[in-house]
Amino acid sequence: MRFSFKKNKILITVIVVILLVFLLNVFQKEVRSLFYSFSAPIQKVLWGAGEGTSDSLQSIVRVKTLKQELDELKLENQELLSQVVALKDLKEENETLRQALGLELQKDFKLSLVQIIGKDISQDFILIDKGSKDGISENMPVITQQKVLVGKIGQVYENFSKVMLISHKESSFDAKIDDISGVVKGQGDFRTLFDLIPREENLSQGDIIVTSALGGIFPKGLLVGRIKEIKRNDVDPFQQAEIEPFFDISQSEILFIILEF
Amino acid sequence: MFKKILISIVVFYFLVLIQTSFLVHFTIFNAVPNIILILVVVWNLLEKRKNYFGVINALIGGFFLDIFSNYFIGFYVLILVGSAIFIKLIFKRYVRIPFIDKI
Repeated sequence: MRFSFKKNKILITVIVVILLVFLLNVFQKEVRSLFYSFSAPIQKVLWGAGEGTSDSLQSIVRVKTLKQELDELKLENQELLSQVVALKDLKEENETLRQALGLELQKDFKLSLVQIIGKDISQDFILIDKGSKDGISENMPVITQQKVLVGKIGQVYENFSKVMLISHKESSFDAKIDDISGVVKGQGDFRTLFDLIPREENLSQGDIIVTSALGGIFPKGLLVGRIKEIKRNDVDPFQQAEIEPFFDISQSEILFIILEF
Repeated sequence: MFKKILISIVVFYFLVLIQTSFLVHFTIFNAVPNIILILVVVWNLLEKRKNYFGVINALIGGFFLDIFSNYFIGFYVLILVGSAIFIKLIFKRYVRIPFIDKI
């Protein structure tokens, strides 16, 4: 039986494609890095344009609710201002006590500023414009300017990195509300869940969740989100709560990576 | 044919950039419409069954989606090429849509 190239054209094409895909997977880091490097300038422009357009569209659509939101924010602002004043007093008192006891103040984080240039279409990953060349390595925490936790570095390329958002299905870390500890688990599609909270603890809607130093993944005190809905049943020893995350990647262009904490 | 493939590569490359950097700001119920998938499906629906450029388009679109996603390279290629072949071999053979037949 003779092998004919003409007859087996489809078979040869399929084999070549499979081999090519296999090779691309072996060198996927290099291939992706190459594509990201020449796409980054275009992606930066597109990200900025998308952000601007979405902002203007949202303001048109939400013009009715804006007035109500403004009133609520004014009220919240007043409450926060009074809290700030109280906290300032406490800070001064704290500093005086620390000085008296000879305690060192917690060092500030060593940060690196990065820009978002893209988002994975189906998973909770974002692409940022700094990589191993800039001293970025896997598992470094990523935050916003307001100390809101975004996620951690998942994959590092030479000039780019992928950030695994806290809403990614594989993401889980220790967090707390005041002294109630639990675990924040990603659910995918920007959804997160506060899990493993003992049933006897009293949670309420709007409670603010911050990171705890327990797992060692993130520094303590980073803002995670607000409790949206509490899920409790008589059988389960733990209660769960749906979180409304504070981060909104469509509204932020600049992020910070915590290099040391 | 070569020219058509080249145009397709450029178009899909820019579409994927728009998809990953521009359209992510416009979510509908927390989801972003996949314009590459939509384009591949529509192309294959409208294309004649004996033509196979729709499958090549699926391959190109899938490759660029893979590059900018977090899955292994070949994930979206399989999905899109599979969808294109499904439309060509099964859907078009057994389902008749009058509107598409007229085109």
